[in-house]
Amino acid sequence: MKCAILLFTICCLLSTIRILREAPNPVHITRDDVSKKSDERFAAVKTRLPASGVIGYIGESGNSSTPDYYLTQYALAPLVVDRSSHHAIVIGNFPLSRPSDLPPNLRLVEDCGSGVLLFAGEDAK
Amino acid sequence: MNIVLALGLSFLSGYLIVSAAWPRDNANQPERWMKLFISAGFGIGIFSIAYFVDRWLGIVHILATDLCLVTLLLAVYLLARARRKPSNSIADPVPDLKPPHWLRRLLMASFGISILAALYATVLRALAHPHGDGWDAFAIWNLHARFLFLGGSHWRDGFSTLIPWSHSDYPPLIPAAIAHVWSYIGHDDPIVPAIISLIFTCATLGLLVSAVATLRGITTAAMAGIALASTPFFIEQGSSQYADIPLSFFFLAAAALLHLFQQRSAQVADGSPTGLFVLAGAATGLAAWTKNEGLLFLFAFLASQIASVAWRRHPPASESRLNSGRELVIFLLAIAPFLLLILWFKHFIAPSGDLFSGPEAMLHKILTPARYWAILRWYGKDFLRFGNWVVPTTILFVAIGLLSPSAGIRRQNTALRSSVLTLTMTLCGYFAVYVITPNDLYWHLRFSLNRLFLQVWPTVIFLFFLFVSGQASSESQAEPNSRQNQANL
Repeated sequence: MKCAILLFTICCLLSTIRILREAPNPVHITRDDVSKKSDERFAAVKTRLPASGVIGYIGESGNSSTPDYYLTQYALAPLVVDRSSHHAIVIGNFPLSRPSDLPPNLRLVEDCGSGVLLFAGEDAK
Repeated sequence: MNIVLALGLSFLSGYLIVSAAWPRDNANQPERWMKLFISAGFGIGIFSIAYFVDRWLGIVHILATDLCLVTLLLAVYLLARARRKPSNSIADPVPDLKPPHWLRRLLMASFGISILAALYATVLRALAHPHGDGWDAFAIWNLHARFLFLGGSHWRDGFSTLIPWSHSDYPPLIPAAIAHVWSYIGHDDPIVPAIISLIFTCATLGLLVSAVATLRGITTAAMAGIALASTPFFIEQGSSQYADIPLSFFFLAAAALLHLFQQRSAQVADGSPTGLFVLAGAATGLAAWTKNEGLLFLFAFLASQIASVAWRRHPPASESRLNSGRELVIFLLAIAPFLLLILWFKHFIAPSGDLFSGPEAMLHKILTPARYWAILRWYGKDFLRFGNWVVPTTILFVAIGLLSPSAGIRRQNTALRSSVLTLTMTLCGYFAVYVITPNDLYWHLRFSLNRLFLQVWPTVIFLFFLFVSGQASSESQAEPNSRQNQANL
């Protein structure tokens, strides 16, 4: 049993070393503020939106499209952001580049900067 | 300051309810710590339910209702204390491991190092990821919290089916607890989910160590603490602001309280400490209020209690005062309020879950053997790697288990058997969900199985060390006896 306890402790301490090695450097902590930055991007448009209800959403395609959508939903809560352009109010989220072709039912109301666009939907549900 | 007031009231609520149910006797130091750690988790659970009920009833004076709740709990505590006679039970010596002095000192030093390293890494991770580490934090838990806090009369919108993948059917223990604290500070400060995440991580570690120390002794507890604190994935998840660590806390609390109940039942001369069993039931109820997997655990726990009725037809002398039928009724009464709350939530607020597809598609999946084989292989792989260890602790457990003198699980106490059965049924339930999942099977396994294993990991460590230490102790007791017999011969 003595050997088992000793071996067990040594093996566990090896993992503790891994925990310490993978911990962020306390001198240079790089803060992952992705959702804070997202909240700041949407702060301006939020003042133009209703306090509750459902609005539409269009965004960039590609790998970041789903996280972009969730960050938008998180920033605009308690509004429900539906991933569809068929709403009276539609938010455009294009952090990397402006869209080249937009759905024909959308009319740009305001460019709020940082790739955040406010549209009016002309065939709202 | 308002955060301190909110968290203080939360802890006080938990402490009053836990103390009201805890036997009134001279508890030893580890047992007092165990009570404090359980109070921390229960307090957050009660705070969550209180806020959700406030939202449902449209109550806006949160502080006033909290003060009423604390006053009510204080009255319950004083009443329970006045009615319960202090028991004059004599605690039996616990069967701790007894390594040589040098090894014990080495073990204690390693315990201190691993705990400090775990706390250091968890706090640094929380500072580096103040909004949580991973999508689920902002796509599910903190999002629901924002709807509850900012939504006013439209708070139910957060459970809309229009928000895909936000698991709107998940119970809201974490979101409602976060929103409750936000209501004290007046804005949705990201520090609150981070603090709640840290509280559950520390409480899980503390509960494991204090519960094993209470039931087995400090040496065994140190080993259990090292096993959990040196699990890198536990530390990663500890600051992620996901709900898997809180869920693991309630799983562990249920198992630990069940064991303490059984130990005390054998010691108390005048009646069994039913309050501990009520708390075990409440822990399963709070697990079910945390995540859907908790509901599965609750039913597994219930099924194992029913099974233990059969085991106890001929109970050993140490368990003679257990009355299984009565226990079952107590358990059902303890979980009833939580089940009603969850039923109400599932029926009136949450949309249907996303794990069940049409019966035809499900039947096709159930009849596809390749799915079972794929899941089995992933279970095997993740058994070795889910903790992200250097040397898998699961392998060490298997090796130590094989090396220990085997009296077998059958000879172990009823609480250990029923806890093992509960975990086995829970893992089988997870397996069944993978079989019928409408999502891509490999994607689903890849992104969730390690967290499902982590949910049961603190309880596995707890049960493993109770088992091993019980075995080693019975061997060390048997050894002098056999020597004595040989001498007599």
